[in-house]
Amino acid sequence: MVISEAVRERIEAAKARFPQPRGALLAALHLVQEELGHIPPEAEREVADLFGLRPVEVHEVVSFYNMFHSESGGRHRVYVCTNLPCSLRGARTLLRHLESHLGIRCGQTTPDGRITLGHEECLGACAYAPMMRVDRTYHEDLDPERAVRILDELE
Amino acid sequence: MPRITVDGRDYEVPEGRTLLQALDDLGVLMNGVEIPHYCWHPKLSIDGSCRLCQVEIEGQPKLQIACNTPVQDGMVVYTRTERVRRAREGVMELLLVNHPLDCPICDQAGECKLQDYAFEYGVPRSRTREPRRALKKRVDLGPTIVFDQERCILCRRCVRFCREVPGTGELGVFGRGDRSVVDVFPGEELRNDYSMNVADICPVGALTTRDFRFRIRVWFLKEIPGVCTGCSRGCNIHLGTAYNRVYRYTPRRNDEVNETWICDEGRLSYKAIGAPDRIREPWLRSARGVLEPATESDALGRAADRIRTAAEAHGPGVVAALASPHATNEDLFVLRRLLAALGTEVHGMAVPRGRGDEILLREERAPNVAGGRALGFGEAEPVLDRIRGGGVSVLLVLGHDLLDPRYEGALDALRRCESVILLDTHHSELERAAEIVLPVRHAAEKLGTFTNFAGRVQRIEPAVEPPFLALSDGETLHRLGRTLGLAGFAGVYDVRAISRAIGSEFPAFAGRDVDAVGPLGLPLAGDPA
Repeated sequence: MVISEAVRERIEAAKARFPQPRGALLAALHLVQEELGHIPPEAEREVADLFGLRPVEVHEVVSFYNMFHSESGGRHRVYVCTNLPCSLRGARTLLRHLESHLGIRCGQTTPDGRITLGHEECLGACAYAPMMRVDRTYHEDLDPERAVRILDELE
Repeated sequence: MPRITVDGRDYEVPEGRTLLQALDDLGVLMNGVEIPHYCWHPKLSIDGSCRLCQVEIEGQPKLQIACNTPVQDGMVVYTRTERVRRAREGVMELLLVNHPLDCPICDQAGECKLQDYAFEYGVPRSRTREPRRALKKRVDLGPTIVFDQERCILCRRCVRFCREVPGTGELGVFGRGDRSVVDVFPGEELRNDYSMNVADICPVGALTTRDFRFRIRVWFLKEIPGVCTGCSRGCNIHLGTAYNRVYRYTPRRNDEVNETWICDEGRLSYKAIGAPDRIREPWLRSARGVLEPATESDALGRAADRIRTAAEAHGPGVVAALASPHATNEDLFVLRRLLAALGTEVHGMAVPRGRGDEILLREERAPNVAGGRALGFGEAEPVLDRIRGGGVSVLLVLGHDLLDPRYEGALDALRRCESVILLDTHHSELERAAEIVLPVRHAAEKLGTFTNFAGRVQRIEPAVEPPFLALSDGETLHRLGRTLGLAGFAGVYDVRAISRAIGSEFPAFAGRDVDAVGPLGLPLAGDPA
């Protein structure tokens, strides 16, 4: 089993809050990803068991949403928003800058396993463009230098 | 019942159905009322994803998808207006944005709904310059199905099929938007007893069967209606034939029997038709004790001789027969007549068995078990017991059903007979006990009827000719009767007349002859089932 007993309990509690237990599937997947860092096929199978679904149905949900990861990544996941408002405010340049600073391409993980860099379509913070998400924290009104400082402070 | 009007014609439709369902129930969908559709399938749940079946409904400001719009009394529907045409054109344009248009190398070409509807509703030029999405052209989803991701239009028919019919649910749609792909769960495969149906219901060339793909261009195939011989369900099929060969079986819709499906085992049973182990000529056991090729007249002559000599010496009761549930009602009826003319009542029928399921596959692995029983052929065991007791001198055997494990030792028992006359399609161990072997036609090579487990009489017709001289069991037996000089066996064999004659002797078959049952068959008359 890859999902801990503690997380299983929290999933059961989440299920109880929905008229259809299946409604708690997204919440459950968030809990699993929080614990494991990503959602591997074994975890999908276990979640499917908990919900009486087929593993393939859980995988459909996991693969649909950008915030769920099937592959393991670095200790921190950094996503630069590259949708239109952010791009108009320099998000592409920001992303290129971070790529060269970290020495990896978008979608890759640093060799020391510290950071996985990616981009996302819209994180809903257009008024503060350009912006990036570091794990669960939004960093807004960025310029390349500040973004690099933020990344350098990550352990 | 609600009344609706479609393109100016009134229909009375069942309550609680959607437009497409109701029109399909009436049998007019794509048969008078043309509403193109990809994702909707009469035997699957409604998806509503392809948007092609949009129609105009009076009083509704926007076009509605016919697949998921419930019928209402007084509903007035238009399927051919300019608005509808333009909507379909738009849907087709979107579907084709990412379609590879590799029709020249696509197996579906010629029976492709995308081609058909592009022909009818497609715009002649592309408005996009962006590259089409590049995906995997050959994904082995499992042992039977090969998947071309680029051609897929994401109608989800295959996904729904696996969840709803075999209940195995191997397939899903992963990803989102224009990155969506159909696939199996990581590390698993599409593997179930009905998997190849997904290739039939795939409206495009995305899912193809490993067995049929690249074998032939489909427009060379002639699709002959027939019945699968794999089990007593008698699934309705088309035999895809060309150059006197059967290339595939595909299910033919019959809501009373198999809906629109067929099991993989039955589908692949076509391979037996042109198999290298077909019996291609008569064989006679020589004085040295080995089987040697012979002429039909020699074989029939020897058979008649054996029967006559034995009957004269010990009475007709020493002549016995074991019928086959692979033979047609007509074949079996001729056998009955032959036995009656000889004056023997020693007969039975061997029925091979296998694993059945709750969907289509039946344990009785032959198409005409119920027909044989209805024509009076009982179990094989009493006959085998009689043979073991030395009470049978000459035995007529149809088919090799006796080799089923449940008749263990049957071959040894047969050796107790002075002479075994075997009529069969394929070489088998049974020949070791036979003195006379006569080749007969496969179900794909003859006209006749089978009676399925539920008592439905269904027609088969010749789809191919055997590439050697062989007659049906019935005609072979007819010639044997003629060689014996039996009353009623003179003249030319007429399977249609035989088929009609069954009804006069067995009233349940009245009006159930080959020319009367129609393409979907008829239940036996007065049959409680």
